[in-house]
Amino acid sequence: MVYEVKVNELAEEFGVHRNTIRNWINSGSLPAQKAPGRRYVIQQEDYLKLCEKFGRKPKVDLPKRRIENEFQKDQTKESTTPPIHLNLKTSDLKDAVDFAGICTTCGSCASACPLSGVDGLDPRKIVRMAALGIGKELIDIEWPWKCTLCGRCEESCPMNIKIVTLMRTLRAHRQRHKVPHPLQKGVTTCLEKGNNLGIPKDDFLELVNDLGVELAETSCPGFVPPIDVRGARLLVTINSKEPFAQPDDMTRWWRIFYAADESWTISSENWEGVNWGLYTGDDNAMKTIVERIVDNMERLNCQALLLPECGHAYYATRYGLEKWFPESLQKFKIYSVFDLLLEYITENRITLDHAVHNQLTTLHDSCNYGRKSLKAFGHGYFDEGRTIVKKCCRNFIELIPNKLDNYCCGAGGGAWATPYAAERTYFGREKARQIQQAEAEIVVVSCHSCKDQLEKTLAREFNLNIEVKYIWELVSQALVLPEST
Amino acid sequence: MSATENTGAVMVVGGGVSGMQAALDLAESGYFVYLIEQTGAIGGTMPQLDKTFPTNDCSMCIIAPKLVECGRHPDIQIMTLSKVLDVEGVAGDFTVRVKEYPRYIDQQKCIACGLCTDVCPIKVDDPFNEGMTIRKAIYIKYPQAVPLKYQIDQQACIQLNGPGRCGACAQVCPADAVNFDDREKKHSLHVGAIILAPGFQAFDPNKNHILGFGHYPNVVTSLQLERILASTGPTGGVLTRPSDNKPVKKVAFLQCVGSRDKNRCNNEYCSSVCCMSAIKEAVIIKEQLPDTEITIYHSDVRTHGKDFDRFFIQAKNEHNIHFIRAKVNAVQPKDKKGTLRIHYANEEGRQVNRSVDLVVLSIGMETPDSAIRLAEKMGVHITPDRFASISSFMPVASSKKGIFACGAFNGPRDIPQSVIGGSAAAACASMMLTTARHSLTHRPTSAVETKKDQNKPRTGVFICHCGSNIADVIDVNRVAEYAKSLPGVIYVDQNLFACAQDNQQYIAQQIREKELNRIVIAACSPQTHEQLFRKTLRSAGINEYLVEMANIRNQDSWVHRHEPEKATDKALDLVRMAVAKVALQKPLYPVSIPVVPEALIIGGGVSGMTAALNLANQGFPVHLIEKSNLLGGNALHLFQTWNGEQVPRYLKKLQEQIYDQDKITVHLKSTVTDSSGQAGHFKTSIKTATGRKKIIEHGAVILTTGGKRYIPNEFGYGKIPNVVASIEFDKLHMHNEMRVAHGKSFVFIQCVGSRNKLRPYCSKSCCTHSIQSAIKLKQEMPSRRIYILYREIRTYGQRERIYNQAREMGIIFINYDLQGPPVISEGENGLIVTTRDHILHRPMEIETDMVVLASATLANPESKDLAQLFKLPLSSDGFFQEAHAKLRPVEFNTNGVFVAGLAHYPKPLEESISQALAAASKATALLAQESVELDAIVAHVDPAHCDGCAICIDACPYHAIRLVDHAEPDGTAGKIIEIDPSLCKGCGICQGACPKRGVYITGYTYDQLLAQVDAALAPIEQNPAEILKNEQEHG
Repeated sequence: MVYEVKVNELAEEFGVHRNTIRNWINSGSLPAQKAPGRRYVIQQEDYLKLCEKFGRKPKVDLPKRRIENEFQKDQTKESTTPPIHLNLKTSDLKDAVDFAGICTTCGSCASACPLSGVDGLDPRKIVRMAALGIGKELIDIEWPWKCTLCGRCEESCPMNIKIVTLMRTLRAHRQRHKVPHPLQKGVTTCLEKGNNLGIPKDDFLELVNDLGVELAETSCPGFVPPIDVRGARLLVTINSKEPFAQPDDMTRWWRIFYAADESWTISSENWEGVNWGLYTGDDNAMKTIVERIVDNMERLNCQALLLPECGHAYYATRYGLEKWFPESLQKFKIYSVFDLLLEYITENRITLDHAVHNQLTTLHDSCNYGRKSLKAFGHGYFDEGRTIVKKCCRNFIELIPNKLDNYCCGAGGGAWATPYAAERTYFGREKARQIQQAEAEIVVVSCHSCKDQLEKTLAREFNLNIEVKYIWELVSQALVLPEST
Repeated sequence: MSATENTGAVMVVGGGVSGMQAALDLAESGYFVYLIEQTGAIGGTMPQLDKTFPTNDCSMCIIAPKLVECGRHPDIQIMTLSKVLDVEGVAGDFTVRVKEYPRYIDQQKCIACGLCTDVCPIKVDDPFNEGMTIRKAIYIKYPQAVPLKYQIDQQACIQLNGPGRCGACAQVCPADAVNFDDREKKHSLHVGAIILAPGFQAFDPNKNHILGFGHYPNVVTSLQLERILASTGPTGGVLTRPSDNKPVKKVAFLQCVGSRDKNRCNNEYCSSVCCMSAIKEAVIIKEQLPDTEITIYHSDVRTHGKDFDRFFIQAKNEHNIHFIRAKVNAVQPKDKKGTLRIHYANEEGRQVNRSVDLVVLSIGMETPDSAIRLAEKMGVHITPDRFASISSFMPVASSKKGIFACGAFNGPRDIPQSVIGGSAAAACASMMLTTARHSLTHRPTSAVETKKDQNKPRTGVFICHCGSNIADVIDVNRVAEYAKSLPGVIYVDQNLFACAQDNQQYIAQQIREKELNRIVIAACSPQTHEQLFRKTLRSAGINEYLVEMANIRNQDSWVHRHEPEKATDKALDLVRMAVAKVALQKPLYPVSIPVVPEALIIGGGVSGMTAALNLANQGFPVHLIEKSNLLGGNALHLFQTWNGEQVPRYLKKLQEQIYDQDKITVHLKSTVTDSSGQAGHFKTSIKTATGRKKIIEHGAVILTTGGKRYIPNEFGYGKIPNVVASIEFDKLHMHNEMRVAHGKSFVFIQCVGSRNKLRPYCSKSCCTHSIQSAIKLKQEMPSRRIYILYREIRTYGQRERIYNQAREMGIIFINYDLQGPPVISEGENGLIVTTRDHILHRPMEIETDMVVLASATLANPESKDLAQLFKLPLSSDGFFQEAHAKLRPVEFNTNGVFVAGLAHYPKPLEESISQALAAASKATALLAQESVELDAIVAHVDPAHCDGCAICIDACPYHAIRLVDHAEPDGTAGKIIEIDPSLCKGCGICQGACPKRGVYITGYTYDQLLAQVDAALAPIEQNPAEILKNEQEHG
C-alpha cells in the first residue's frame, strides 16, 4: 500500500522541520518517490517504520482512497503557466494537429481516463495542445508515456478522435535516446538478439528441453517440446519474460496442446512474441519483429499462427500482419488465444472440469483484446473469454463496468516497464475498486502486463485478496487429461 | 396545369402537433384534410409531456383543445392506425394509397366505457408511459385520446392469436363494438397536396445500455421523467427513486445523449430542445422537492429561443440548479440499493465522483426509419442527418413539388417551431391549391332557430354517467329523481356518455319532442364540452346559449371519490344551481361583420415579402408598407444562409415577384399612423412618401417590422480600425477589401451585446454566421489562422455540421465567460487578443490582423408605437409578445393581428420565412371567411346604473371599454362607458370591478349569478318552488 504525502504534513506530524523531511528523502533514509504536485509517495511500511522511530501512532486516516483525490489536486494552479502565443508560426506538429482539430473540448476523454489530473494533464489537454499547435511542449512532457494507451478515451469520444494514435504519434516524435530507457532497451535488444531479454539460443533450448522432460514425467507422458517441427499445424511464440523469470508458466500451454493432441511447434530462433515497437511508437521495429514471425511461419511451413499472448503482443502482431503483410494472411490462419481455446472446447478436443475452481471468479477484459481489437480489427474478444472462464469455474461474476467500458489495469502501453510506478498504481485504483466491489477471489487475465500489475502492484497496494490467473492457466488447471495408457 | 385540375383536399401525414396545426389551418382555409396517423390516436409526443418550456404550461391542457378541434372539425377526417403505401400523380392531383390497420373496435359503436379493459387478461408494457407501467391488450392510447375509441393490440391479444381462447372484452362490451373479424383496409384518396409531419422518435439508449440505461433502474430518459412528473403518469406525478421508491435527493441530468455524437450513434446534429427540456424538468423537480440537489452536465447550454436564456438564468440563480460543463463518462452502482456513482472530469481536468439518486439522460431526436422509407418512396430527398432536405428559402417545401414537410422531420425543433412549420406548410399548400378552395369542404350548416316562446323555462336535465367515472361514485338515480322536483324542469334523462355521437342525436330529439328550451348537462367541464352541446342545441333548433353545464365529474366524482354520499349531495347542489341559472338565461345572438379580404403587412423585409406573396397568390390583395425606399430589410446585409444558399440572389427574385404580383401594392417610405376596427375589418391610416395620409381598409394585419443591430461600445469598436462588426466585415469580405484579402489571422468574438445583464437573450444567428464567415476565409486561404472566441456555441439542429466542419478545417474555438472577456490591444504587427484557454487554463495571446464582433440583434424601437396602435404587448426585450409561446406563436390575443420575423425575436432567415408563412396561413383562415362572428358572451352596459366612473376601463385587459359622452335622462351631460364587442373577450373583470352594476356579461348576469348563489345556499330540504320564487323576486 502506498501513501501520498506532502512534506509539510509529514513535518507537522512528526514535529520536525520541513527541510528535515526533505533531507531524509534526498539522503534516501526515507524512501519516497516524487509524485505530481510537489507530493511524495511513500510505501506503507516505510511510513510505519517512521512512526515507530518517532513513537507515534500511525495515522489511520491516510487511507488509500486519499491517493485518488490528493494525487491530482490543484495541479493546474501550482504548475507554472506560461502564456500560449498563437501566431502564424505555431503548429509545428502537423500530423498531431490533424488528429485534434475536430475536438469540441467536451471532456468525455478526460472523464474516461483514470490518469486524468496527473501532472495537471489529461487526454483533453493533450488533444487541446495538439489542436493549438503547441508541438514541442507536447513531445517533451511525460504524460503520453504515463498513458497506458488503453483507449478508454477514444471509446468515449463523440468525435471519434484517434487519441491513442495521437499519443503514440507523440511518443514516435521523441528522440530515441529520450524514450524511457527500459522500453527502448527492450526494443533494441529484441532487434539485436531476437528477444527482448537477450536470452541466448542455447540457454533457451536447454530450458525448453528440461521443462519438457519434467512435464513428461509428471502429467504428460511422452511429451517432447516440439522445436522447429517443419510442417506442424500451429506456430506458437513465447513471451521472453517466461523463460527468463517464470519458466513453469510456459508449460500451461503445453499441457493444453498435449491434451488437445495439437500439432504445434516453437521456433528455435526469433521465438519472441513481445513487440515493444508498439509502445515506443517505432513502426520500423514493430514491422521487423512481426516480419520475423512471418519468416518463421514460412520456414517451418505452418498452417496457423497462435497470435502472441499478452494484449499488446496480440495487437501489435495482428496490426503488423494486416498493415504490412496482408498477403501472408491469405497463406495462413491466425488464432488469438481465445479462438484457439474455444476451438478446443467446442470441438471437444479438451475436457474441462469446472469443479476445480470454486472461488468467485471474474474476468478482466484486456484493452488490447477487447476495446482496441474491436476498433482496429472489427472484433473484440469479450464473450469468448467469458465462455471459456465459465467452463473452468463454478462461480462467475462480472466487474462493473466491463467489456468496452472496462478499466485498464494501469500497466498497459508499456507502463509496467517505465519508471512511473506511482502513476501506474494510481491508475490502477479504479481496477482495484472494481475488484473489491465484485468481491472476486480469482481474477482471470489474458495479458502478461495485466497479470503483473494485478498481482504485484494492485493486490499489494490495495490489499486485494485475489489470485490472478492467465486464462490458459485456468484452462490448464481445469484440464481433465486423458488417462495414461 | 390548368386551374380546374387542382383537388381541394390535402393529406397530412402525422398527427402530432405540427400535423394537427397544418390540418386545422387548411380546414379553416377551405380545404378538406385527411389526417393520417400511424397509432390509434392523434397528439404525437405532446400529450406525453408534463409541462412545456419556458412558460411551464401543462402540456396536456394546452394540446387538448387542439385535439378536440381536430376531432370534430367537419373538414378533417382523422385516419388512425393508417400508413401511406404509395403516391402517384403530380402536384395538385395526387392519388395516395393508404393502408388502414384493423382496430378490431367499431369506432361508431364504442362508447369508451372501459369495461373491456377491466376484463382483459393480457398486460403489456405501456409505451405511452415509456414502458414504466402496463396496459391491457385492449386499450386507449391515453385518457384524453382523440378519437376516444378503444383498440386491440393485435400482437398481445390472445383471442386474435388463437380464436376461441378469450373474447372476454366482446362479452362485456355494452355497445357490441368489439369486432375480431376486422381486417385491414386499403383506401385510395385523391388530394392536391401532401404534408409530411411524421415527427421524431427519441434516441434509444437501451441499444448499447448507454450510461447504464437498462442496467440500473435509477437511470431514466428525459421522456420517462416527463411521465414520472406528469400527474397522469405512472407515479401520479410524485418523483421517487424507481429502484426502491425512496426519496430523490440528488439528480444528475446528462445532456447530448444521442446527439452531437458520431461515436455511440451517428447523430452529428444537435437535437435543439434537450437543454431547455432538461432545465424545465429540473425546475419542476425543484418546485416539487425544493431540497433536491440538481446538476445538469452539459456541453454548450443551447437556450437560444425566446425567453430561453432568462429561463436558464432563473434556473441557475433562483432555483439553485447547478450547471457543470462536463461529460459524465461512467454511471455505476454505488451500493446495492440503487444509489449511483457518476464520474467525470471537471473543467479544470480534475476527476470527480458524485453519488446521485437519479440520472436523467437527455435523449435526442431521430427520424424514424418508417418516415425515411416513406420519403424515399415519394422521392423526397433526405439530408445526411436523416431529415427532410429543405431550402432555407422554402423551409416547408420538400424536394418534390406538391409535397410539403414540417415539424421535427425538417430537423430537430421544439413545439413552437413545429406549430409554425405546420401553419407554414398549410399556407404553401393553400397557395398551391387556391383555385380549388372550398371545392370539397362542407359549408357550415346555418342553424335555423324555430320560432318558439323561449321565455318560459321548459328545462331538460341530462345526467351523464361518463362510463363509470360519475356513476360509480354518485348515485345518479337520486340526482335524476331530485332534478325532476326542481322548478321548471320538464324532463330528466340519463346517458352513459352524454358526449357520444349517438347521444347528441338523442338529446336533440328530446329537445324537439318535449319542446325543451333550457338544457342542463350534468357531466364534465364546459371548457372541453360546452361547444359540443351548443352545437347540439343549434341542431335541435333552439338558441345555442340556452345550455348550462353542471360539472359533476371533474369537480365532484373525481375529487370526492371516497365519499360517495357527500359527492351525491354536492351533485344535487350543482344541478340545482345550474337549473336556477339557466332559467334566467336569454337567447343570445352573435354579431356578424363582413370580412374585408385584404391584408396589411407592415415591414418590407423578407418576412413581410414572403407573407405578402403567399397571400396575394391566394387571391387576397395586400398592402405592403415599408418605411425605407427599398424592400429587403435586414436580409440586404446577408450573403448566405447556414447551408450556403445565396441570399442576394434570392432577395432579387423575391423583389421581382412582389412587383410582378398585381395584387400587392407596395407603399415605400410610408409609415402607419393610426388604426381602428377589428379582425375582419380594420381601418388603418398611413403616411405615404409624399407626406399624404391614406386610409386602407383590410381584414388582417401582419407585423413584420424586423429588428435593429447593436452598435458595440466594447472591445475597442470604433476606436481600433481593425475591430469591425460582423455585418461590416461581411461587406469588406465580399468586396475583397485589402485588410481582408491580405489578412492571415482573424479573431471572431461572439455574444457582443447579447446574453449580458442588459439583454439577457441570445441573438440566435450569430454563432452560425461567424462560423460561416470563418469557413469561407479558411477556404479562400487554408493557411489562415482563425479563432472564434465564444461563450456557448449555439449551432443548434443540423447547423452543428458547419461547426464540425469548421473545427475539422482547423478553426480554433476558445471559450470565455461573461466575467472574463478577451482584451484587445494594438501590437507591432497588428492586434493582440489576450484571453485564457478554457482547457489548458493558461493565458493566451493571439496575434491577429482583424477582430470581428458578432453583435447582437435588437428589437426595433418603433415596435412600441405599433404595439400601442394595435393594443399589443411587448416582451421585456422590446419584441412583440405572441399570444402563446407554444401554440399560438404568430398570433395575439387581439384577433386579426399577426407577427413574424425579427419583430418577434432574433432568428435566422429560414425561421423568419417559416413564421411569415405561418402568419399568412392564419390571415388566410380569417380572410377566406365571408364574415366573422363575434362571440355573444360579451360585456354590456346598463345605462341605468353606469355613472361613468371609469373603474372598469383600467381593469379591462383588452382595451375594449372607453368612456363616451352621454345625456342623462334629466338632460344633463354625463359620461358612460361604451364596449367594443369586437375587442371584448367576455372575461368578466369589468363586471367584478364595477361597484354599481353598470356593466354585465351576457350569460353571466347579476341575476343569474345571484340565482346560482341562492340555489347553492338553499338547503336541499327547502321547497325548490320557493327558491324559484326568491329568484324571481330578486330579478
